[in-house]
Amino acid sequence: MPLVVDRLVKRFGSVVALDGLSFEVPRGQVFGFLGANGAGKTTTMRIALGVLRPDGGTIAWDGIRSEDLPRTAWGYLPEERGLYPRMTILDQLVYFAGLYGVPRDRAARLVREWLARFRVPEFADRRAEQLSKGNQQKVQFLAAILHDPDVLLMDEPFTGLDPVNVALLREAFLELRDRGKTIVFSTHQMETAEAMCESVAIVDRGRVVVGGPLREVKRSTGRRMVILGIEGDHRLEWLSAVPGARVIRPGMDRSEIELDAGVEPGALLAAAIARDLRVTHFEIADASLEQVFIDHVGRPADEDMRLAPADGPASDGRNDAPGSEAAAGADVSAA
Amino acid sequence: MSRHDPILPNAGIVARQEYASRVHSGLFHVSTLLLATLAVLVAFVPFFVRVVEGRTVTTIGVVSTDDPLAQRSISILESVLNTAGGSGGRSFRVVREVDERNAVSRVEAGSLDAVLIANRLPNGQLAFVFHAGEGLGEDRLQQISVGVFGVAVLDYSANNPLSGFRLPSVDLLRAASPGGGSQPISGAEYAGRRIVGIVFVVLIFITLVIYGMWVAAGVVAEKTSRVMELMISAASPRQLVVGKVAGIGAAGLTQMLGILVPAIAAIAIEDPLAAAVLGPGPSVAPSMAGLSVALVAAFLVYFALGFVLYALIYAAAGSLVSRAEDLQMLALPLSLIAIVGYLQAVLALTGGTAGFVRFASYVPFWSPFVMLTRLAVGRVEAWEVALSLGLLVVAIGLIFVVAVRVYAAGVLLYGQRPGLRAITRAALGAR
Repeated sequence: MPLVVDRLVKRFGSVVALDGLSFEVPRGQVFGFLGANGAGKTTTMRIALGVLRPDGGTIAWDGIRSEDLPRTAWGYLPEERGLYPRMTILDQLVYFAGLYGVPRDRAARLVREWLARFRVPEFADRRAEQLSKGNQQKVQFLAAILHDPDVLLMDEPFTGLDPVNVALLREAFLELRDRGKTIVFSTHQMETAEAMCESVAIVDRGRVVVGGPLREVKRSTGRRMVILGIEGDHRLEWLSAVPGARVIRPGMDRSEIELDAGVEPGALLAAAIARDLRVTHFEIADASLEQVFIDHVGRPADEDMRLAPADGPASDGRNDAPGSEAAAGADVSAA
Repeated sequence: MSRHDPILPNAGIVARQEYASRVHSGLFHVSTLLLATLAVLVAFVPFFVRVVEGRTVTTIGVVSTDDPLAQRSISILESVLNTAGGSGGRSFRVVREVDERNAVSRVEAGSLDAVLIANRLPNGQLAFVFHAGEGLGEDRLQQISVGVFGVAVLDYSANNPLSGFRLPSVDLLRAASPGGGSQPISGAEYAGRRIVGIVFVVLIFITLVIYGMWVAAGVVAEKTSRVMELMISAASPRQLVVGKVAGIGAAGLTQMLGILVPAIAAIAIEDPLAAAVLGPGPSVAPSMAGLSVALVAAFLVYFALGFVLYALIYAAAGSLVSRAEDLQMLALPLSLIAIVGYLQAVLALTGGTAGFVRFASYVPFWSPFVMLTRLAVGRVEAWEVALSLGLLVVAIGLIFVVAVRVYAAGVLLYGQRPGLRAITRAALGAR
């Protein structure tokens, strides 16, 4: 296992940011580091980079501890995006690459090549302040990869990007993976992680709640999903009579139905047949990563991006979280 | 961090970037041009004054109870001060004054330019006291000294006393300000050295405070634009701090040269220009008599070390704030340390080398000002210079360690006002 994070502990005063966090990432994989804001993702990356010192535990790549690794081993895309506003893109990328030991002429050539691949060759001579946020992000991505690092640490790389840039960046990620790079990216967008990651770790309050290959993590709650199509019935109102089943994504043709742990998919099929309905589609699938996250953590990863319930102040919803997490934990053990 | 990060080449890359980004900025060009223009204008002030004053008459009074002595003094001073080489655009009128006290108070009030009091002591020696008003140039004082010597020689040849020729005693007094009393000065050389001392102290003060703020503002700008996040993963805090201080220091030095060189050139052409415009005359240019190679070397050493010391503190302070507005609040307390040193240097310039000024000239934060002034105007033992430089270097070493630690922790702080505890923790190396 090339990238090993082992029992990492970090405290800021009385706040415990990392509480014995451990996970492993196989070489050449895309790894999703999933958690809500404040879960400890950025702190973990900063420790790997040597910007922060852990209070306990280690991070190692290829058997070498992070403090003994050269800076060039890592490529880092920070969550807080920033460039020198008045410097041209070419100048600042050559500057950053220079700090990683890339000669100026080689860096300039790489910058022009990559800008052309992102279909924006004209950016080379523009100042950063003239670019949109999304385009600045592409530039920062280049800042992280020009020195050809073994491991890419990308902190929320897709946040704030428009769909076109998300697609471009995704493609670039996969290309780098195919070149043998190991990519760790943190996100609270479960769909992105599901689409790209071979393995993931779900973190909450500085601990890994569940981690491993994506498929294993998705099956970790014992919860299943059924994709069901019934001729002439897209409302599926009869489902309310089936315990432990509910529609999470209704559709005119097919709907996604989530089953609680312990509820057999066959029971759903039997209930439909018993009602004399014509089943046109029946597929058993794994639970969505989003649901898995909620099951393990007790709340969605992007909870703080949603409105709190109208019947109480926003802070109440947050204060409830530990209680609901305990309930979720009980569910897991029952499964 | 236990990772081994040699200072070079990254500090060099950062320094080059910092230097280029400042020296190539429009603001740098404009401010250098403005300050250089100002410096040249200031250098030309004596010339302008001469042009405006034209051929005004400078009146010097002579007070003496001895009539022949008074007459001799008047005729000698008039001829010495009004010779072709000595009068230039001005003419001097030397008149007899009756009452000594009245004449001196007129000098202090400015209605008389100077007064010479000539007395014959019981042993036959001549004693001269010269009260010079503020309007009388330093170069005149030497001519007065020569003049009174001539008076003494003439007086001796006229009287031929048995006791033989005695050198006259001369006290030169400068009226400081109305009611401020007079203080002894030792002549033109002292004045020249004082001018150099003032210029150096002002220069060092301005450079430390202004270029120190450049360092702090640079750090804050990187935090505000969040580019700091990229920088701290690409280079170590030591590399960043060293590169920043070196690059901005070099940019500051460039600006200083851009201001000083035209000013010195202006001083150099001032006399020929004055001769061409106003006709032959005495020097109008500020005296650079006190400017020795050793003093320039001392200035450069104290500037470099002083800048490093202050810039390190400014870098650490800059890392603790997130916005440019917050930096303004830090600016005053930061410059207070330098202001205290500056004031003591001014104290040393006015002749007071009291115990505290001597002590301050060893203290690292103040020695760039105070020791430099003492070197310019007074006598300083070699061991004193060695001690102050040694302490300065040791202080830089200590401040460097603390500043890098504060910087490493500070650059990650956003939005929060760092408390004293957080700063102390950072200084102790917690991250």
